[in-house]
Amino acid sequence: MQADTAVLTGVLFAVALWLVLQRSFVRILFGFIIFTNAANLFVLMMSGEPGGRQAPIMEPGVNAVDPLPQALILTAIVIGFGVTAYLVTLLYRLFLDGRTTDARELFADEPDEREKSK
Amino acid sequence: MNLVALPVLVPMMTALVLLFLGTRPTLQRVLAIGSFAGQLVIAVMLVGRSWDEGVLALPLGAWVAPYGIVFVADLLAGLMLTLSAVTILAGAVYGVIEMPGRRSHPLRLPLLQFLAMGINLSFVTGDLFNLFVAFEVLLLASYALLTLEADDWDVKQAFPYLALNAVGSTVFLCAAGLSYAMLGTLNFADMSARAADMSGDPRLMALGLVFVLVFGLKAGLFPLYFWLPHSYPTLATPVAAVFAGLLTKVGIYVLIRMCTTVLPHDMSALHGLIAWMSGATMLLGVLGAISRNFIRGILSFHILSQVAFMTLALGLFTPLSVAAAIFYIAHHIIVKSSLFLVGGVAALLNRTDDLNRMSHLWKATPWLGVVFLAQALSLAGLPPLSGFWGKYLIVVEGLAQREYWLVGASLVASVLTLFSMLKIWLAAFWREEAEVRVVREDRRWRPLTVVAGAMTAISLTIGLGAEPLLRLAGRAAEMTLDQEGYRDAVFGLRGKSLEEGIPGVLPVPLPGDGAAAGGEFLPFPGGTP
Repeated sequence: MQADTAVLTGVLFAVALWLVLQRSFVRILFGFIIFTNAANLFVLMMSGEPGGRQAPIMEPGVNAVDPLPQALILTAIVIGFGVTAYLVTLLYRLFLDGRTTDARELFADEPDEREKSK
Repeated sequence: MNLVALPVLVPMMTALVLLFLGTRPTLQRVLAIGSFAGQLVIAVMLVGRSWDEGVLALPLGAWVAPYGIVFVADLLAGLMLTLSAVTILAGAVYGVIEMPGRRSHPLRLPLLQFLAMGINLSFVTGDLFNLFVAFEVLLLASYALLTLEADDWDVKQAFPYLALNAVGSTVFLCAAGLSYAMLGTLNFADMSARAADMSGDPRLMALGLVFVLVFGLKAGLFPLYFWLPHSYPTLATPVAAVFAGLLTKVGIYVLIRMCTTVLPHDMSALHGLIAWMSGATMLLGVLGAISRNFIRGILSFHILSQVAFMTLALGLFTPLSVAAAIFYIAHHIIVKSSLFLVGGVAALLNRTDDLNRMSHLWKATPWLGVVFLAQALSLAGLPPLSGFWGKYLIVVEGLAQREYWLVGASLVASVLTLFSMLKIWLAAFWREEAEVRVVREDRRWRPLTVVAGAMTAISLTIGLGAEPLLRLAGRAAEMTLDQEGYRDAVFGLRGKSLEEGIPGVLPVPLPGDGAAAGGEFLPFPGGTP
């Protein structure tokens, strides 16, 4: 149980990292989504095996999963959802402005400094 | 109502009310500024109470310390709350004067309140996961502020900020998971107790490295800083002042909290790493500042080199140098945000902040020149201004620890800071270019200068009356370094905060002898996993 979760988390992190380093926005976005989910799985894995653990408010002797990491992951999922929603709208705006999903193209003809005239 | 919860509750409630007042700008502004002023009063009261009573702890919902959520305010947290309230108040007032009538965006003030809520929560939280939540609240508010009034070019610059901070937050989540696996708890006090038991374990070093990675990214330390100097100049002046003053300092605060309160004090390898990262950040940041040619760009790069002074002081890790770090934070938040405000007024008068096209300002507005010069020299660290005292302490402590290279780097960085500040001074204030016009008909610059001047007055008070603040910083450093005292307060052993807040709470079992007292309530029978 522990070993295969560890391998799965490692693979997810590797895939996420590879995607985040791509040039296309859409891939970066998917990389970020996989990254947050890999982190959630990582936290769950860190809580260890459920066998023998016990929740603080239950009768002694009842087998239960440690509830704290679950609560934490639930919070993290909600937050990750919010950030992802924001990221999607931002990338859509970037696409509308630049008519490209290529990060290198977007930042290509950048002036060294901007001459602001506000 | 317990005082410790108010710094989070007040901005949250105000933000919710402000969201409904988008069509009534005047009412929205009065309420927002009143709320920021109220937060300042609350923060000052917290400093006073913490000075008298030590660490104040509030267990929420009567769930006692290691199991429930705890809010903790000690002197350092109170000081940071005060500084954040001052800065955001100045930013809000500046924004209101700058954008009269209905021209300003109706979401800016509610988002500033949410930003304040996130910042304040990260100062008072007593456990690692709530710190994650606080960071997400403040980051989401900052993403929104960064793109709220942005044009095409600004949005592009926001993208690296967003991507890097989102990834950083996810690594933070992994760090929380790691701490839970290693220590079996996320409560700072409980973590410090269990980390003290495994002092010298290499896994603690690994955890410390992850913390440095996560919070060094937030603070803008050496290999992790490149998102900052390009995104900050795109912000509107008052928002940029708030960001520049506060956001990196939240990272520094947490780094101080982790190194002093949570992790054992004997990790000199970790402290050395922080010190050397600071040395590199210092030089690279100031060189970047010299390379820029517009005011906000120069100031944004300076944030990096100044932040490094604080982490260098933390890296030296003596009681006096931690106090110097705290003093330097107080100095820097005020000086940096007021410099951004001055830059905004100058840009308003010249209609640009590109140094090649600015001039005449000294003749047009000598008072703005005085304010700028005072803050610029303070940033460079000339006596008797506020920057001098922090740098002096850092140099003295560095020499005492024979870190000659780091001391040398800090002195070089100071001289180069002075050089780049003089670059702004010579180009924008001193030069007299015939074809550049100063737009004095725009009446807004007078009250805006007054706001920047008020911040400067605070910074001059810090510089000229350094003694009381140094004593405050010393006491705050003592309090954060005293892990026993922190634990006692959080676990309610001092009894003061518990009995006052929640009457009739059962006595708390100590985490140390948990097997003897109330063992059936421990989440892990038989110890940590």
